[in-house]
Amino acid sequence: MSPAQWPPPEGVVQPIKGPQEIGGPKGVYRAFGETLRGLKTTFARIPEGTTTYQYPEEKVPVYPRFRGRHRLHRFEDTGLEKCVGCSLCAAACPADCIRVVAAENTPDNRVSAGERYAAVYEINLSRCIFCGYCEVACPFDAITMGHDYEMSDYDRADLIFTKEMLLAEPLERTPLRAEGE
Amino acid sequence: MPRPFHRDITFSIDGREVTAPENTILVDAAKYGDVEIPVFCYEPKLGQPVGACRMCLVEIEGIPKLQTACSTPVKDGMVVHTLTDRVKEAQNAVVEFLLINHPLDCPVCDKGGECPLQDISFGWGAGVSRFIEPKRHFEKPLSLSPLVAIDRERCILCYRCVRFSQEVAEDYQLVFEERGAHTYVSTFNGHPYVAPFSGNIIELCPVGALTSKPYRFRARPWDIEQAGSVCTLCPSQCNVSFTVRDDRVLRVLARDHKEVDDGWLCDKGRFAYQAIHADERITRPMIRDGGELREVSWDRALDEAAAALGRARGKVAAVVGGQTSNEEGHLLSHLVRDVLGSSDVESRVAGAPSAELRVALDHPDLQATVPDIEFAHAVLVIDAEPVDDMPIIDLRIRKGVRRNHVKLGVATSRPSSLDPNASAVARFAPGAGEAFLAALNAALGGGGVLSELAEAAGTTEQAVRDVAALFDATDLVILYGERLLSGPRADQTARALLNVAGKSFERGRDGAGLMEIPAGTNSRGLREVGCVSDRSPAEIAEAAAGGDLTALYLLHTDPLVDLAGEWEPALDRATTVIAHSMFLTPGIAEHATIVFPAESWAEREGTVTHPDGRLQRLRAGIGRPGDVRACWQTLAELSKRLGADISILTGSMATAQMAEHVPIYAGITHDELGGQGVRWQERDAASAYPGDVDFGPFGLEAPPVRPRPSGSELQFATFRSIWGGPEVAASPALQFLRSRPRVLLSPADAQRLELFDGLAATVAPDGREAVEATVHVRDAVPEGSAFLESDVAGVVGTAGIRKAEAAVVV
Ligand code: SF4
Ligand code: SF4
Ligand code: SF4
Ligand code: SF4
Ligand code: FES
Repeated sequence: MSPAQWPPPEGVVQPIKGPQEIGGPKGVYRAFGETLRGLKTTFARIPEGTTTYQYPEEKVPVYPRFRGRHRLHRFEDTGLEKCVGCSLCAAACPADCIRVVAAENTPDNRVSAGERYAAVYEINLSRCIFCGYCEVACPFDAITMGHDYEMSDYDRADLIFTKEMLLAEPLERTPLRAEGE
Repeated sequence: MPRPFHRDITFSIDGREVTAPENTILVDAAKYGDVEIPVFCYEPKLGQPVGACRMCLVEIEGIPKLQTACSTPVKDGMVVHTLTDRVKEAQNAVVEFLLINHPLDCPVCDKGGECPLQDISFGWGAGVSRFIEPKRHFEKPLSLSPLVAIDRERCILCYRCVRFSQEVAEDYQLVFEERGAHTYVSTFNGHPYVAPFSGNIIELCPVGALTSKPYRFRARPWDIEQAGSVCTLCPSQCNVSFTVRDDRVLRVLARDHKEVDDGWLCDKGRFAYQAIHADERITRPMIRDGGELREVSWDRALDEAAAALGRARGKVAAVVGGQTSNEEGHLLSHLVRDVLGSSDVESRVAGAPSAELRVALDHPDLQATVPDIEFAHAVLVIDAEPVDDMPIIDLRIRKGVRRNHVKLGVATSRPSSLDPNASAVARFAPGAGEAFLAALNAALGGGGVLSELAEAAGTTEQAVRDVAALFDATDLVILYGERLLSGPRADQTARALLNVAGKSFERGRDGAGLMEIPAGTNSRGLREVGCVSDRSPAEIAEAAAGGDLTALYLLHTDPLVDLAGEWEPALDRATTVIAHSMFLTPGIAEHATIVFPAESWAEREGTVTHPDGRLQRLRAGIGRPGDVRACWQTLAELSKRLGADISILTGSMATAQMAEHVPIYAGITHDELGGQGVRWQERDAASAYPGDVDFGPFGLEAPPVRPRPSGSELQFATFRSIWGGPEVAASPALQFLRSRPRVLLSPADAQRLELFDGLAATVAPDGREAVEATVHVRDAVPEGSAFLESDVAGVVGTAGIRKAEAAVVV
């Protein structure tokens, strides 16, 4: 359209319907109807009693497959670490939050069962999305997802869990849901 | 031998019509049609295919059985199938076979993630195995050498490592022992595999059987980045790729460049990266204060350096080390010449031929390239030991001799490792290069009495004639060491060399020519950007010792080690000694007044020039550690503080500046160089090369009479081995190879001097401090000569050698 045709000729511009005036009973229903519908559900639950968990005194039990904070494992008989520092978990991790630096086992310093071991194993839990891919990738079941979900901290740096922290027997702070619960 | 030429043919692969050069191996020809044929043992760099692994089986119409694509040259009209059921079945079976004895310990294997066996098993294997019997077992991991670990269980017997050792490096150390299913890779008698190129087998091995010890378990392919650059540890300037993790170089891999390195690296280039992260490295500027070097801020160091240089205007001399880039050389020469009004900026290690002769020697018409060595009819090496001076050229010469029947001549004073491959060997006395060239000139009909000249060179007439016989070849490449043309009689030697060259090939002929094996990595580039002075380093040292020069600028060099001349008094006398260095080498630790930390070769930006004229780009692979700053930045900053109008903010601006001032490099940019570099002779700007050149033939003076050594004195020269230099010294993994003082003697001299192998001897070169060295008696050393391995290269003369007081050294 060339500027000469401004304002445009009749019929080219279609008026749009503006907001409708609302009032009367229709308006009252619009204002309160949905609220009342919601309140119906609320009041219907009152006889069921309270379901609020008094966290942190009281904790929600988790399912066995719950994916909480990771754990690294040792062989029960030899005490050697299961992790060989292969970095496959790091490769699988979509959040790129695992860092593995491997080193070689020597006769005087045998850490894992294989030729290599993880000299550095860190998971940055502030980035982890708890997808569990690391657990799936590990060829030695060295890493599993634990049940702990209480990981808040005051400092982001403290959320980088080192190998020692991941290997340590965790304080199982989270109750597990019993069979059939 | 002319370069092979192939006409294009058309063949069909998987129903696709594909055009490829005739006789290309099918595996490579298939790539023209985007078809991948899996291979393990096929590696064209290793020469003829051996067909050991059978992974590459394909179906060719008209041939009843499946064929190995790695050993079948493609012909016109061939019809090839790689996707039929027969081929698939064969591929599955081969993978299953290869994995029969394979431990499949990928999680602990260093190759995991970059392993062809993993990839091919995944891509072409059946995914299951029917094999339930026990696998064969070996002790593991074992050391093949202090640098290479071997895991025999993982080996798929592809022959690559053995072929490398036997047919490329020709050290004949790796062998297969036992037969059939019991075969394993070993060395003779289980000796460690120690050789200058041993590291290449790590890169060749298609499985995790051979792994690098220094890199062992350091990282996975997904933890790392590869940063391409150029190795500046020797003039070969191999294209490398640094493996970087967490801003540290963890490994160096070859970055295949057919015209430079052919895809190989020497062990120095491959393992000396450890020096980059050595604790001894200088990372902060230092100033001598009360006799001791103390760390200071950059501002203070720059201020002091600028003030000191300002005071010494007109009395400054700079010496430039071989690892300096073209940009740094240019900026330094700008600083010293234009800003400080002095004239001495020298990059050559000893006296050198005059500018006119240099122009003739470096002329594009006389220039040979690296691939020329492989395709020439004959190659003559004069006064250089490629394996020490430019290692990759050694492999190139061997390749030419072995595969293309290039005739090789070796004319050196020290026995060369190429002697067994040579058809003509001449030994002349240390420092008698000029006389030898004059004798050669006479043998080629250039005048002079051959018998007298041969006598003066300390060689025989027959040896000279043998070498002269090579000149019948149509294409002759002459490789000469920089030391041939250094010293006080450099001009006469250069004339003799030009005469000889004039007898061998027409100027401007492709495939023939001269190539220098320089003393420093970038010697050629530094010369071309103007780091040449009228005075030789020895004369500069003399002037400084006499007080005519008060400030010395040492860019990446320690004159006490690298340069000819009496530098101790010079460094003592100079009021200001400014040095750029990675390490506190003796001369710098003792004499430098201001030290700037230097970048390592993995941190640099800039360009270097290969001895055949190829400009290559250095790219920073890692950040500079500590307070290290770019050298171009420091030099530009100094110029600015001294009042020059110069503004350089980035590495490419430094390159642009350099290109603006060097006519033959005009217009060069980093983009143009790219990853492969470009030879300046092939650019338009080469027309700026001086045109009016006198190539001879020249009348030659009679070479001077060499002093005859007597008694316990022998003719003597020092040499720097491949394992010399501060980089090797600072690399923990290379300590076992590190250059130690060794003196090579002939059996006759050893007997006369009552010395034997392994004994400690005192070597007292003429007019120099005596050194203690271990005696190595070698049959090949000519009687009357002795050679000392030392970081101080280029000392030639006579030396007294006697038993050291100390006990036997083993
Ligand atoms: S759970 Fe997922 S995001 Fe977290 S570390 Fe494992 S792979 Fe990474
Ligand atoms: S946890 Fe498992 S996958 Fe990760 S490095 Fe260790 S062994 Fe490998
Ligand atoms: S050589 Fe390759 S396939 Fe074999 S264990 Fe190593 S990574 Fe796995
Ligand atoms: S060690 Fe590696 S390169 Fe050598 S034969 Fe075995 S698999 Fe091949
Ligand atoms: S690649 Fe053809 S037989 Fe090995």
